[in-house]
Amino acid sequence: MTAGGTQAAAERGHKLFSPGRVWAIARNTFTQLVRMKVFYFMLIFSALIIAVNFFFLGWTLEQELKSMKDAAFGAMRIFSAVFAIVGTALLIPKDIEDRTLYTILTKPVPRFEYLLGKLLGVLLLIAVSLAMMAALFFVVLYARQHQIFADELAVLPGEPSGPEREALREAIFSQGVQPRLFLAVVALFLQAAVAAAVALVVSTFASSTLFTIIVSLMVFLIGHAQSLAREVWFPEGVVHSPVARVLAGLVAIAFPDFNLFNVFDGIAVGQEVPDGLMLRLGVLTAFYLTIYMIVSWFVFAKKEL
Amino acid sequence: MADPATPAVQIEHLTKVFPVPFRKEKVVAVDDLSLRVRPGEVYGLIGPNGSGKSTTMKVLLGLISATAGKASIFGRDSGDTASRGSVGFLPENPYFYKYLTGGETLAFYGKLCGLRRREIRERTAELLALVDLEGARDRRLGGYSKGMLQRIGLAQALVGEPKLVVLDEPTAGVDPAGSRKIRDLVLELKRRGITVILSSHLLTQVQEVCDQVGIIFNGRLVREGELDELISIEDQTELVLKNASPGLLDRIGELVAGEEGAELLHSGHPRTTLERLFLKETSGESEDGSPGR
Repeated sequence: MTAGGTQAAAERGHKLFSPGRVWAIARNTFTQLVRMKVFYFMLIFSALIIAVNFFFLGWTLEQELKSMKDAAFGAMRIFSAVFAIVGTALLIPKDIEDRTLYTILTKPVPRFEYLLGKLLGVLLLIAVSLAMMAALFFVVLYARQHQIFADELAVLPGEPSGPEREALREAIFSQGVQPRLFLAVVALFLQAAVAAAVALVVSTFASSTLFTIIVSLMVFLIGHAQSLAREVWFPEGVVHSPVARVLAGLVAIAFPDFNLFNVFDGIAVGQEVPDGLMLRLGVLTAFYLTIYMIVSWFVFAKKEL
Repeated sequence: MADPATPAVQIEHLTKVFPVPFRKEKVVAVDDLSLRVRPGEVYGLIGPNGSGKSTTMKVLLGLISATAGKASIFGRDSGDTASRGSVGFLPENPYFYKYLTGGETLAFYGKLCGLRRREIRERTAELLALVDLEGARDRRLGGYSKGMLQRIGLAQALVGEPKLVVLDEPTAGVDPAGSRKIRDLVLELKRRGITVILSSHLLTQVQEVCDQVGIIFNGRLVREGELDELISIEDQTELVLKNASPGLLDRIGELVAGEEGAELLHSGHPRTTLERLFLKETSGESEDGSPGR
């Protein structure tokens, strides 16, 4: 802290946008969320739901593997969506309440970078959590499919021929670990990313964490019903007025169609993931994140702290 | 170095009005306030609760916008994010991320200031030594005392090597020993040529460290000036004698009585302060503040 030191500080200059600052905030947010007790509770709860499937016995092989996937993806879906909303909703109000925000924004940190860092931190945590849960589930599923294959072979009368053995293996393994399950996990992440961005927008103008959580959950639930409402109000084959189309567009922006991300539902009933679907979901997620970041920044930039 | 002619802080006709939700009336928190802080000086901003001190600081730091008027830091508009590159701020009763250790906290804020890894390592070591927290470097902030939190707060304010440090009630809730340490740190900053704006209710402390003082009341700056000028009583003279005999005191009294218009107002033993007495009894300092036993 010498005169030379302050000279060095002056020479560092100010960057309008610094990935280093954003990454510092994102990493800190990741640590902040990891240290929350609620995170461990939800992670352990989800992991238990996944692991307990290993002990489901007595069903047909098809029922068993399908129910394992249903339960595991259900747990991952709930965990990722709830944590995206609750985790994001806790961040900004807590920083304001604790005045930690003052110490961050009085450094040369633009408000946009603060918001982006917070969102990236939440997304990083959701990605790591989903990766951990998916890895655990795939290990359990892989072990179970091999165990079922061995059990089925054991109960077959006599020694099965090569083609019989291969047919049985194909029937069981088609319900086991498949590349398309990875795509379903990626889709869950994209869905959680949009839910987190919704919560970020709400938390920039909300006065409490509870309000943010309730409003974001409502948007999340309404978003799931959006495709149904669209079919009722804007049936296909009917020409709609420009006003109606603009209105529908605004509703689609305010309430994202979260059903689009439910790739697993199709996979569960044996459908293939259509070509280009993941790319479309990726573009849609990027669109929503961009729109919501801009709205958040617009509100937060004017916020009196 | 900054141009000495450029004020460290310049606030001109600042007004801040807060609307009251669901009502027509508005609260005027700061009313046409102007002040100027020279580089390298310690400026004390004092005033009762709700007088507008914190609002003024928030405008200066870009946390809120001014309704009218403007504020600048070393010539840059305070609304410009770049102006914060030369500022360090310690808010009143700060809570930092309690899951981080002292070292991690400084590293986090260092990154926000754009410091490189090697700079962060060096600054962290230097600042922890400065605020006397080297032994608590790897301890989480959740286990820090109030005084330690204030000192790590001061360290984070200094991590970006600021030219201006803004301290809002830095000794609030801190015991006298901790308070003394913070006072000494402010004096150290002054020695190093760093400009300090200090808001405090502890007027004795303000008096001990500040060169210039502004008094805010009802959002207005009602008095401002050099501390010595503000608090000296021009028509009185203080004389402190050591080992004076009663005879000498009598002769002085007679001399004063013989002078037309002069009057001896008080004679007796000077008092120490309660703070010095407390520190003497709890830390072994002598009454003049130097280390004792």
